[in-house]
Formats: sequence, structure tokens, C-alpha cells
Amino acid sequence: MPAVQETIDQVRQIDVDQYKYGFETLIEMDKAPKGLNEDIIRFISAKKDEPEWMLEWRLDAYRRWLTMEEPSWARVEYPQIDFNDIYYYAAPKNQTGPKTIDEVDPELLATYEKLGIPLREQEILAGVQESKVAVDAVFDSISVVTTFKEELAKAGVIFMSISEAIREHPELVRKYLGSVVPVTDNYYATLNSAVFTDGSFVFVPKGVRCPMELSTYFRINEKNTGQFERTLIICEDGAYVSYLEGCTAPQRDENQLHAAVVELVALDDAEIKYSTVQNWYPGDSEGKGGIYNFVTKRGDCRGANSKISWTQVETGSAITWKYPSCILRGDNSRGEFYSIAVSNGRQQIDSGTKMMHLGKNTSSRIISKGISAGRSNNTYRGQVSAHRRATNARNFTQCDSLLIGNNCGAHTVPYIEAKNATAQFEHEATTSKISEDQLFYCMQRGIPEEEAIALIVNGFVKEVIQELPMEFAVEAQKLIGISLEGSVG
Amino acid sequence: MNMQSKRPITAAEQGLVDSFVNRLGSLPGDQTITEIRDGYIEDIKRDGLPTRRIEAWHYTDLRSLLKTVPQDTGDTAGPVEPLVAGSNVLAVAAGQADDAVAADGIQISQYRDALSDGSARSRMAVHGADDVIGRLNGALTRDGFALDIADGVSLEKPLEIQMVQGGGQGHARFPVTIGAGAKGTFVERHVSVSDDSALVSSITDLKVGDNAEIVWVIAQERGLQDTHFGQINIELGAGATLTLFVANSGGELVRQEIHIRARGEGSELILRGVNLLGGQSHTDVTMTLDHLVPNCVSTETFRNVVFDRARGVFQGQIRVAQIAQKTDAQMACNTLLLSDDGEFSSKPELEIFADDVQCAHGATVADIDENHLFYLKSRGIGDKKARAMLVNAFIAEIVEELEDEALIEALEARFEEWLDHHG
Repeated sequence: MPAVQETIDQVRQIDVDQYKYGFETLIEMDKAPKGLNEDIIRFISAKKDEPEWMLEWRLDAYRRWLTMEEPSWARVEYPQIDFNDIYYYAAPKNQTGPKTIDEVDPELLATYEKLGIPLREQEILAGVQESKVAVDAVFDSISVVTTFKEELAKAGVIFMSISEAIREHPELVRKYLGSVVPVTDNYYATLNSAVFTDGSFVFVPKGVRCPMELSTYFRINEKNTGQFERTLIICEDGAYVSYLEGCTAPQRDENQLHAAVVELVALDDAEIKYSTVQNWYPGDSEGKGGIYNFVTKRGDCRGANSKISWTQVETGSAITWKYPSCILRGDNSRGEFYSIAVSNGRQQIDSGTKMMHLGKNTSSRIISKGISAGRSNNTYRGQVSAHRRATNARNFTQCDSLLIGNNCGAHTVPYIEAKNATAQFEHEATTSKISEDQLFYCMQRGIPEEEAIALIVNGFVKEVIQELPMEFAVEAQKLIGISLEGSVG
Repeated sequence: MNMQSKRPITAAEQGLVDSFVNRLGSLPGDQTITEIRDGYIEDIKRDGLPTRRIEAWHYTDLRSLLKTVPQDTGDTAGPVEPLVAGSNVLAVAAGQADDAVAADGIQISQYRDALSDGSARSRMAVHGADDVIGRLNGALTRDGFALDIADGVSLEKPLEIQMVQGGGQGHARFPVTIGAGAKGTFVERHVSVSDDSALVSSITDLKVGDNAEIVWVIAQERGLQDTHFGQINIELGAGATLTLFVANSGGELVRQEIHIRARGEGSELILRGVNLLGGQSHTDVTMTLDHLVPNCVSTETFRNVVFDRARGVFQGQIRVAQIAQKTDAQMACNTLLLSDDGEFSSKPELEIFADDVQCAHGATVADIDENHLFYLKSRGIGDKKARAMLVNAFIAEIVEELEDEALIEALEARFEEWLDHHG
């Protein structure tokens, strides 16, 4: 059965030629010379005023990267990337790091305003919004400003750019950086380790529930640059944080590289909720331009009873290569992955998750919706594995895909690996199995099945989506409600 | 940076090359066939056996799993009793096809003749760079049967193609053409008659004509020391119905590939599989199904039971071409993992390019359901018996979909015997 008209209309509204964030900010930039070598890495490290160990870490990563080969297993095609034809560092002149809001170039503030991200705290407070959201704004290679820092510090929460954290909390960064995604984890993660420029650092101490939503907004602006962000979030025992990232870029004819690494660490009883609204420039309808989004995201449920939940709404990028994963190491830990990936034009998405069950009584849930339109290809690639010691591991996976039109493709590549007899894995592609009980509950109250499913999926992500400070929160909400009637499995 | 060239050749790879060298001069084939054989063995020499880095072999790292290759032992295996009593039997024993020329309305010729006169060359193409079974078999095949069933012929008795092996190696190929509207049941059976270790490769090319109705059973019952490489390549004509039943209950290292192309509109494929895995064995069933035309239906259901330290693999890939609208494909892989030392990995893939189709895949891995067990035990059935009943039921559900009583009984008897031995 083909897709319903409503869905087709909704998807058309976010087609590649409807991209709203394609403007460019004209601002004088300070750049490193083009190309990649040890001097560039020294340059970046010096710009950030980093300690010696950090530089060594970067150089070590770079040397290892030189011996590695680009992965080719994903279902994406792109011309060879010339890693020497990229600027690895670009920052607005007169700004080498975050400043107080009054010192920030008004041009930059205007940019974020245009994107729907208010950076002035009083403006946020004056707004109708009830809840506050702290924002770390990253512009090309540097963090421009981080809001509500003082208020968060009062609660004991550290929220700052990673460059600042390396200087101010070196012991914490050193302890956790690279502990979830090892330096040599994969080609792009290793590249990131060598040249990462900015990103956010969050530390929530024992027993603290972070008093507000945290978010980072990534903006690529300069031509021929790559953005290499690094985010590190640590929740100590019993702590909780909800974090959101958003990203956009100007419309350009050439492709730009974005290779990020995100590491989450949840200790005993901690919970991290990580949401992404990815809206990088997708290229035009002929596939010209757009961001190559090669991202490594991984959460480590290191402590018992910890929980990590990934939610992603993916509509941007020419190529997406991204598998937010959970290492369920602690006993009774839980991992979740909710994803909505919409591809239009000539976009290529190869995304999914990995749930690695190592501890006892660990559980995970994967809900993925892929929607392909235009001439795009949308692949779900996921792995669920139960280690020999992972007694009573449980997983439920549901991935649905929907095709709109006859020139696109939808693919599903699940890897299911059980090495423990008490593991219970269910992988379903049918929409009727979301959770029989919940569905029955809704349906017996007269809600049609399709709406009930939307309601249930919506329920998973609503909490986060409603808090989005961004203009496209509305869009995200709409996407989640998209009917998957006519899904092909 | 060619890493491949620095790779040391493994004992098994050397063994395969040696097998080829030792057979030089005795393998049938004209000039062209000989060149094709040479090419394949060169490929194996150059690329080696696949590792898990080759996606098609992700869970079966042949380079480390295949330790040694048995050399010929002067095997004197002969035909065995058929699976279903009263079947016509065509046997390839110790790699040599018997001299049958016709049975029950079927044209039969020996594949060695097609090799000798060069007409087999069109049969020897491989699927791609990762088709090791195709290369291995192409290089070393000595014999097999070519079957031709005329249009409209209806076979009264099942036809069993046996590949019987003691120790050493056997490599055979079976091109089978089923005429339009023909009907019949075929059993492709792989058996061992000694405890000596054997390495066997077998490729069947099954072309099912328009509106034909065929049941094809692959029963692999090799010995605990044996390596079995099976491949079946199927083309389905318009309106054809094929019930393909794949049963693995033997072998130490097994890879059974199933490649199906639905080429004619309105065809139906019913694929069922039972994998009984025990001991230290490694069994891999890999399927690719191409829906190339509109309005075809296919269902694929696999039931796996894992005991001991066995490892099982199921890779299923359904590809729906852009024009194959109204395709209905449903794939499921259910596994009972009954041992903490056992493993099962599955990869049920969908690749869809048409927007008006129904494709689903499901995969489950679990132990026996405690509720089911409780139900039986509360009725006074002991734990061991209750478990056996549930395992039996799990398999029987699939087997009983076959409509042929004699065939169901024969398969169930075989499975029960296996389970008694392992359960």
C-alpha cells in the first residue's frame, strides 16, 4: 500500500529545496592554513591554549589515523574526500573562546536569533517559555557563548565548551575523554580526536538533577571548513540530565565535512537523555553540495541501574553515517534509541544503533522510522548483541520504513547476536507489535491503531521535543506524528 | 597499500590448492573448462578464504574456521536408502555420479559429460567476488547430474538426488530444468557413510518453468567431522510455485547458500528451514532473494535450535526491484537458544526500491518460554519431556506445512532421532 497523502505533504514541506537555514553570516574569520598535518594540530592546540598532554593525545591520534583506511561498508556513495583541502580551524576574528554575552559580536547574536536561538538570558526569561534552556553556541570551530553557566554552577553542574573544560577541569576531561569512544575506534573518530575544535562538556555531580535542559547549537558557516566537534557528558551516581543538540549550515555548492564524537558516561542510577535535531544543509535536489555527516556517538551505562536514551530527528545532511550506541555494562542498565530519519532529494542516510548487552538484566529498546522520498536512500543498520555474561538481556526492536515515490530506496540491515540462552531478542518490522498492551489500551478507548502508534511513539519523545527551544521544534513534532500507514517493513 | 599480498597462505588454503594440483589431468573438461578452473583456483590463491571483513561472510570467518582440508582417501561410499521410502534415487557417491539415464519421465545426463565436451561452461559463472563456494566447486567439480523435466510431466514418486561421501572430498553440480506446468517432489540429500572427515561442495541450479509446482527438500545430514558447502541457485518462472525446505542436522562446518530470483510474474515461494545445531558445529544459512517482477509472493520462515557449543548464523536478504510492485515478502527467523555456550547471529535484511509492496522481517532469539513449560509441567509432565515436547512443536509447526505425509513423517523421524541424541 502506498503512503497516505498527508504524509506525502508533510515530507514535501521539508524537501531539500525548502531548506530554511541556508543563509550565510558575513563575518571576518580567523583561519588556520588549509590542510592537515602535525603543525595544524599544534596550531589548533595552541589556539585553544591546551596543556601538553592534550596536544600529545591529538598527535598520537593523528599518527594512528594516518595508518587507517576509510570504512566502506555503509550504503553511501560519495567521491573521495581530500582531507588536505579542508580548513580545520575557523573562528570569528576577535573571538578565541566563549565570552560574556555583551562582548559577543552582534552579527553572531543576530545569526542565532535568525536561527531561533535566543542567547540573551533576559530574553529567554522574558519569553513565554516556562522552562529555561541553557545553550552552548558553537560557530565553526569555537564556542561563542554558553548561557546560564552561573546558575548551573550553583547546582554543581558544569556546562561549558570542551576547550574551556580542558583548561579548567583537566582532571575530569582526562579521566573520561576517549573512555567510551577510544581514540582508534574508527576512521572518523580518530580524525576527530586529532583535530576536534569545540563542543560541549557537561558534568552532573552525584545526586544532582540538572535544573534545566542543556543544549548545544552547532553552526557551520565558513566555506571549505570541516567541523569536528567533541561532546562529553558525565552523570555521576543518581544524577540526571537532558541534553539537546541542533545543527544547521549555509547552502553551498561544495560538500563540507562534519565528523563529531559524542561520549556519554552514566554511573550508578544515573540517567542521560540525549536528543538530536539534525538539520545540516542536505544539498540541492540534484545532490549538489550538502554536509557529509560522519558521526560517532556512544553512551556507556557504566553503573548499575543507569539509563541512556538517544532520540534523533534526522532531516538534514547529504550523507548521514551515524549510529548512536549504548554499552550496557552496568547490571540492570537500560538503553533506548528512538529515531526518525527523513531523506529527500539525493540524500543518503545510513543510520541506526548498537546495543551491546554486557551486564545482567540489561534491557534495550529500538524504535526507528525511516522515510525516503525523492531519489534518496535510507538505511537502518543496527546491532543488538548479548555477551555470554549478559543474563536476562532483553531487546525489542521495531524498524519501519516508508517509501514515497518510486525512485528512492529503503533498507534494513539488523545484526542480532545472542551468546546467552537467557537473552530474549525480538526484532519486528510490523507496526502492530509496538507494545500490545499499550496499543490495546489506546484502541479499546476508540483510538484507531495508526493514531495509537503515533501517540505511543510521540509519548516516548514528547517530553524532549516540547522543550526544544528552537523554531523547528514544531517541525520535529510534526515529523513524529507522521503516519507510517503503508510502511513496507 | 595492498594488505592482501602480504597475507600468509593458511594450511586450508594450501590444502585446496594442493587438491587442485593433485587432480590435474583427472578432472573432466575441455580447454575452456580447464581455463575456467585455473582462473578460480588462482582467485582463491590470490584472495584467500573470506574473513568476517567480507560482508557476505560476516559471521562465518572461513579463513579461521576452515582449519584443514582432507585429502582423498580412496573413498568407496555407495548409495544409501532414500529419505522417503520408494523414491527414485540418483546417487553421486564419492564424487562420482551413477550411470542412470532416465527415470519417471526425466532426461538424465551425467555432468562430467557436459564438462568434457565444454557445454558446462555457461553453468560455471560465479555470483561475485565473495562467491567462494562457486569458485571452489567450479575448480574441483568432477561430476553430478543434469536433469530435464519436460513440460507438463508430473512425477509420481519423489526423486532423491543423493550425495554420499565417506572421507576425503566430493564436489558436484546439479543443473535441473523443470518444464512448464511440471509437478514433482525432489529431495537433495547430503549424507556421510563414515566417521572420516570430508569436505564437500554441491551446487544446484534449479530453473522452475512457468506454472510448475515443485517441492524441493535439501536434507543435509553430514558427519560431525565434515565441512559442507552447499549452494542452490533458483529461477522462478511466471505463476510457478516452489516449496523449498532446507534442513540442516549435521556437519561440523556448514554453509548453505540459497539464491533465488523471482523472474516471472505471479510466482510463489514458500521457503522453510530447520536448523538443528549441536556439538561444536558452525552452521551458516545465507539467503538472497531478488524480487525482479511485480505481483510475487514469498514467505521465508526459519526455525533454529541450538544446543551445546554450537554456533548458528542466518543471513537473509530480500531485494525488491523498482518495478516489482505489489510484492509481498515475509521473512522470519526464530531461534531457541538452549545452551549458555551456544550462539546465534541473524541478519535479516531488506532492500526495497518499490513503494507499493509489503515486506516484513522478524527475528527472535530466546530460551523455551517459561509459561509454556509451566503449562505442561502443571499437567504432570516431567521437565525433560516437557522441554522435548516444546522443541518438537517448535519445529513441527514448520515441517507440517509440507503437504506430503510421507515426507513429513520422514523428516520428523530424522529430527526426532537427532533430538533424542542431543536433547
